[in-house]
Amino acid sequence: MSLNYQFFPVSRPSEGGGGKTGNWRIVRPVVNLNKCIGCKACFLWCPENTIIPTDGKVSINYEYCKGCGVCSNVCPVKAISMVSEND
Amino acid sequence: MISKVISGNEAVALGVKLSRVKVIAIYPITPQTYIIEELAAMRDKGELDAEVIRVESEHSAMAAVYGAASAGVRVYTATASQGLLYMHEMIWWVAGSRIPIVMTVGTRAVGAPWNIWNEHTDFMSERDSGWLMAFASTPQEALDLTIQAFKISEDERVFLPMMVGMDGFILSHTKTRVYIPSQEEVDSFLPSRKQPYVLDPEDPVDIGNMFQPIDYMKLRHSMHLAILNSKEVIREIGKEYEKKVVPVGSYSSLNESYKLDDAEYAIVSMGAWSLDAMQVVDELRNMGVKIGLYRIRYIRPWDEEDIKRKLGDKDGILVFDRSVSFGRGGHLYLELKATLPDVNIKGIVTGLGGVAIGKDVISSLTRKFIEGKTSDEWFYPSEVEKVELRNPRYIK
Ligand code: SF4
Ligand code: SF4
Repeated sequence: MSLNYQFFPVSRPSEGGGGKTGNWRIVRPVVNLNKCIGCKACFLWCPENTIIPTDGKVSINYEYCKGCGVCSNVCPVKAISMVSEND
Repeated sequence: MISKVISGNEAVALGVKLSRVKVIAIYPITPQTYIIEELAAMRDKGELDAEVIRVESEHSAMAAVYGAASAGVRVYTATASQGLLYMHEMIWWVAGSRIPIVMTVGTRAVGAPWNIWNEHTDFMSERDSGWLMAFASTPQEALDLTIQAFKISEDERVFLPMMVGMDGFILSHTKTRVYIPSQEEVDSFLPSRKQPYVLDPEDPVDIGNMFQPIDYMKLRHSMHLAILNSKEVIREIGKEYEKKVVPVGSYSSLNESYKLDDAEYAIVSMGAWSLDAMQVVDELRNMGVKIGLYRIRYIRPWDEEDIKRKLGDKDGILVFDRSVSFGRGGHLYLELKATLPDVNIKGIVTGLGGVAIGKDVISSLTRKFIEGKTSDEWFYPSEVEKVELRNPRYIK
């Protein structure tokens, strides 16, 4: 029996299929690198895969970040604050 | 292998333990509660090496085992009736995610009104969810099918969850002799778990995200084909089970036939009362009636080819259903009719909500059918003409 028919509902995480954030995000996460301990919890939880581990810390791809605040909530040392797009 | 007099619930709990399950979500609902109590007790005594998670609802029970299974471990839960209905949403998520999981359903009537007795409507209402669905007719079969279910569900040609049904109380609470395989026997049959993808931070995947229409449809088609192809897998695994684990019972086919070869008439049934039907066949055979029994063990996959081969030439088929699709009839009847549109098939809905249907009733209904006198499609023994539950009172 060939297994060609098998198909699974998974995909590799990547920036949101809906495309770039554009002008609709109202808050954005800002990482305080002095506080960040590099645990990558935010990277694991970000639903848009827009957190990039860099040099033992993290940076954010604002092109796709939707400002949901999940990263800010899961950060164990409160290194991520959500700031208004107008600031 | 040893043999012991135990209930269906105890048999299932032993099957789960022997399958080396690692995570069990437990939530009590009659009549399966005893299974999870047994498992919790085994865990307490150190006989079972599994995480037992107490959850606050059946929806969470399925969600908990779904999460654990997605991370790659063998999982188990059990439910019934309203609990199964409450789980309904998660049942579809698990199937659509192609995650192998095994669950027992101790079948029971669905409210309203409250009724804790046996009926198959809860089980049958999940037949479109993408789960494989087997139904036991004895505690022995409940144990054997549970162990086989793990292997079938985890087979790369299947990768779908599987539920095993068992008549509430009639099997779940009745004690009978059961052959219990040894751990070595089960280990020789059941390898460690395989699955197509796992939740792993080192190699992340998204599960359950948005699918475009074409991909969604392709996934649905692949589930359909996996169910069709599972027939071959079930037969193969059944034969292997017979060889390596249990010398009693026969699992080389999906469904079972009894005295069907030369039969002119056939009874079709599923679950515990099939054994009564078997005795009715013997009784009627002694009276010179050429009759046989076809016992459905698998609802999904549906063994269309076998049913056509074994039942296609019969003069008359009487289907006994312990479940109903309101306004249409029993589920088995509808499936049979769709498989054999040109055969004389009658369906009887009976035994709902625990109405006791024994050998004598099956026998008299079957004789009536053979004499061409069956008119009703529902049967319940009652002295009163009309079942008056309450007199309606209108609000002025
Ligand atoms: S705000 Fe949301 S989308 Fe943006 S980086 Fe944090 S978790 Fe990701
Ligand atoms: S969760 Fe907080 S501490 Fe951890 S990597 Fe992200 S910003 Fe740094």
